[in-house]
Amino acid sequence: MKSKNTPTHSTRNAPVDKNSPAGEVSPKYELSKEDKERIARDRVLSVVLNAAMWLFTITCFFPMIWMFYSSLKSKMEFNKDVISLPAAPSFSNYITILTEPQYNVVRPMLNSLRTTVASLVLIVAFSFILGYMISRIGFKGNRALYYALLVGMLIPIHSLLVPIYVVFKHFNLNDKWFTLLFPYVSFGLPMGVFLVDSFMKGIPTAMEEAAAMGGSSFHRTLFTVILPICRPILVTTAIIQTFVCWNEFSFALVLLQDPALQTVPLAMTQFTGQFSSDYPRIMAGMLITMLPVVIFYFGFSKQIIEGMVAGAVKG
Amino acid sequence: MLDSIKPKGRVIFLYLLAPVLIYMFTVFVPLVAALYFSFFEWKGGPHMKFNGVANYVELLKDGTFWQAFGHNAYLIVACIIGQIGIAFVFVLIINSRLVKLKNIHRVFVFFPSTIAAVSIGFIWTMIYDQRRGILNHIIANVTHKSIKDLPIWLNNPKTVMLLVAIPLIWQYIGYYMVILFSAISSVDPEIFEVAELDGATAIQRAIHITFPLIRDTLLVCVTLCIAGNMKAFDSIYTLTSGGPGNASNVMALYGYNVSFKQSNMGYGSAISIGIFVLSLGVILISQLLTAKKSEKKERIEDEI
Repeated sequence: MKSKNTPTHSTRNAPVDKNSPAGEVSPKYELSKEDKERIARDRVLSVVLNAAMWLFTITCFFPMIWMFYSSLKSKMEFNKDVISLPAAPSFSNYITILTEPQYNVVRPMLNSLRTTVASLVLIVAFSFILGYMISRIGFKGNRALYYALLVGMLIPIHSLLVPIYVVFKHFNLNDKWFTLLFPYVSFGLPMGVFLVDSFMKGIPTAMEEAAAMGGSSFHRTLFTVILPICRPILVTTAIIQTFVCWNEFSFALVLLQDPALQTVPLAMTQFTGQFSSDYPRIMAGMLITMLPVVIFYFGFSKQIIEGMVAGAVKG
Repeated sequence: MLDSIKPKGRVIFLYLLAPVLIYMFTVFVPLVAALYFSFFEWKGGPHMKFNGVANYVELLKDGTFWQAFGHNAYLIVACIIGQIGIAFVFVLIINSRLVKLKNIHRVFVFFPSTIAAVSIGFIWTMIYDQRRGILNHIIANVTHKSIKDLPIWLNNPKTVMLLVAIPLIWQYIGYYMVILFSAISSVDPEIFEVAELDGATAIQRAIHITFPLIRDTLLVCVTLCIAGNMKAFDSIYTLTSGGPGNASNVMALYGYNVSFKQSNMGYGSAISIGIFVLSLGVILISQLLTAKKSEKKERIEDEI
């Protein structure tokens, strides 16, 4: 609530200038008293607004920095003072976690990588095919499929947590390396399909017609003409689903019991439970598992932010 | 499209087969199965006893379930006010010509929303921790109290929901900020300039110009907020596991605990159906409300 008060308060103090036009310095050489006052007020306001903004921005990444330098401390040093910088920074926590087999960190990362990549490939391929079919081909059941996907988009996925476990157990699909692909692909699919569907609406059918006149088969047109056009929207889909799949927790929790198959979020809950007294070690483990996402995010932040926003608003 | 290009039915069928089968198997089979199992008394073993609607009768009388639903509703309200409200204010600030380095702010405030909710949960566990948490550390330094006398934050049933909501709100403010910011950026900047020249104050501009112009985007944000908080699970699982007692329990977590910790699969299935109905209901009601409001506003705008 604190952070809310500061900005509202400061906007309330915004310059109430009814007489002189705001925003432009008068072209005269000598500034009137009013103008001078307004400039001074703007300067104060600017400091306040910038400060408020920075205060919030810093809270968004300070936890990561705190975790990083704390992970270089020993448990003793951390418990003595949780906020001070490490007196003798040491990477021993990282070395222990990465080299000793009792720490289940590297394997979950590989599991997450496999699950995420496989899910992305399937989601993108299926979204493209279904999206194109729904948008362009009037097959029997087109509308039924559309509404089936709409249900999947609106369905609260946690209402399926228990039922999916029961059904998967019945078909012996629990605890396999591909188990999580089913929910990840199925729940990622509707948004991808609708993104492709609405994207195709902006593409004239003349594209396909021209290709067909030129003798291109349906398959060839689909993959050599339409697919390249849809690239931007498929990249958007892939970006959104990368974070969804890498971060997903509840289905992994329910469907995987085998520790060898655990994905990162699941392994982290166990890791923190196991070493709950040793915060620096937990922090080191968490930072290792976050690193791929952090690098990916800051490497492609522009595309990622644009993609996520497009997905949220259009989907 | 030309009929001659339309592929044969068999071709379409083959293209659709794999994705549709996987989708139906993962979404609709479990849904039907849940409906079926919800009419049985079933502890997960081989014995199942049909007991009609007894599970649903129990569900309607189950105070813990409705308490959990109340917590979901609390989170929705807290997040609509907290996330969208704060995001809107920050967007106004960031959008003013006085604030520099807009892009750096954008990149960093969006960052927390890309982190796993589980990790966010741990980060805040470490912030709230009694003896080793930042929060108590700061309080102790300011008030010169011993850290032992400071509260164990997540143990107080009265405040735990607020404390659990704060990480959720904090994580997604940047997300909504970026959505709202892109909506405002697509508005012709001349509109704001003219208003400013006409002497509209920042607050007047926010209420009478910015707000109506991005109303549709705000409604999208509200819908996202509702859908997102009906499925709150991960961060609460890591922060409190629903405790102390059931003071921060949410529907999904309750369904999980009943089904897996108490291995009461029959009743767990009934809870799943309950979550399904309630969530869809809340989303539909919110859609109807916002649709009606937009209609009204459009009519007013037309008249003007």
